[in-house]
Amino acid sequence: MEDNSLASTIKEGDGELSDISLRPMDLSDVDDFMVWASDDKVTHFCSYGPYTSREQGIKHIENKVIPHPWFMAICVNNRAIGAISVSANQGNDKCRGEIGYVLGSKYWGKGIATRAVKMASDAIFAEWPHLERLEALVDVENVGSQKVLLKAGFMQEGVLRKYFIHKGKTRDTIMFSLLSTDPRI
Amino acid sequence: MLKPIEITLRPFKISDVDDFMGWAGDENVTKYCRWNTFTFRDDAVAFLKEVIKSHPWYRAICVKDRPIGSIYVMPGIGKDERRGEIGYAISAKYWGKGVATEAVKIAVACAFKELKYLDRIEGLVFSENKASQRVMEKAGFIREGLLRKYFFVKGKSVDIVVFSTVEAD
Repeated sequence: MEDNSLASTIKEGDGELSDISLRPMDLSDVDDFMVWASDDKVTHFCSYGPYTSREQGIKHIENKVIPHPWFMAICVNNRAIGAISVSANQGNDKCRGEIGYVLGSKYWGKGIATRAVKMASDAIFAEWPHLERLEALVDVENVGSQKVLLKAGFMQEGVLRKYFIHKGKTRDTIMFSLLSTDPRI
Repeated sequence: MLKPIEITLRPFKISDVDDFMGWAGDENVTKYCRWNTFTFRDDAVAFLKEVIKSHPWYRAICVKDRPIGSIYVMPGIGKDERRGEIGYAISAKYWGKGVATEAVKIAVACAFKELKYLDRIEGLVFSENKASQRVMEKAGFIREGLLRKYFFVKGKSVDIVVFSTVEAD
């Protein structure tokens, strides 16, 4: 019920979504996490899910979220409605990080993911001076996410065929990037 | 038209180390590689030992059974395991004779056959390395795009042109 009132708050206050914030995610967010992690519409293009038990959610936060170098909850009124993360690399790969994000389906179509990507990009380039390239790999069929990245100022660099295994199948993916020197729109 | 040089591919032996230094110790060859030029024979011996022991697919490119270069296909791990990266280095003496192109064609056919789980072989070529981009094209790879500031090598970030061949190609 609380989620419905949260979603309608955003719908009524159309326009400036000034109350979107990013903060580190932790175990206390598990029930909010399960709202999107149990939704197969949301997890269709994710490497995990859909989850069916709270225990799976707890394990995921313990194993994947807490040890992660940069993992934020996307919040409205400090309640998590999605997540966004940037991976860190070593050696020859250290100048680039991969961004990934997920949003509860009730919040789709309001520009929230685009805003979160812009906020995360600004934050990560400031926090990691060695980072020169943010990249995102999006399934060729995930048109919604492709639009998010273009609106956030990322550049499409190419289609990489049979690039990786997703839920048992080899998929074509589109590579996007934003450089620290690119104009932030 | 010049008669093409006949090349063969075979696994390395430790006794190939001096021939190996012939290209791996040459700064002209390693200019567009991610790895550093070999300066000490001992490092080359250690490297070949490791490759012989544990690399999934690494071959010497030979002319009359003498190594004049190397070529490898390196699969990823986990979700990346059906994707292999191809890399090659040829002794400068043998540049401009179609050696790399021929080696790549042979390597791709062999790797897809021997590493049955592979769906994709890709080449990540420095944008300044025009010669290697021509090798990829002549060997039938598709140019998929330019990845900006993809690698950090020898103190700076470099742009990469990504090429690929998939089993259906």
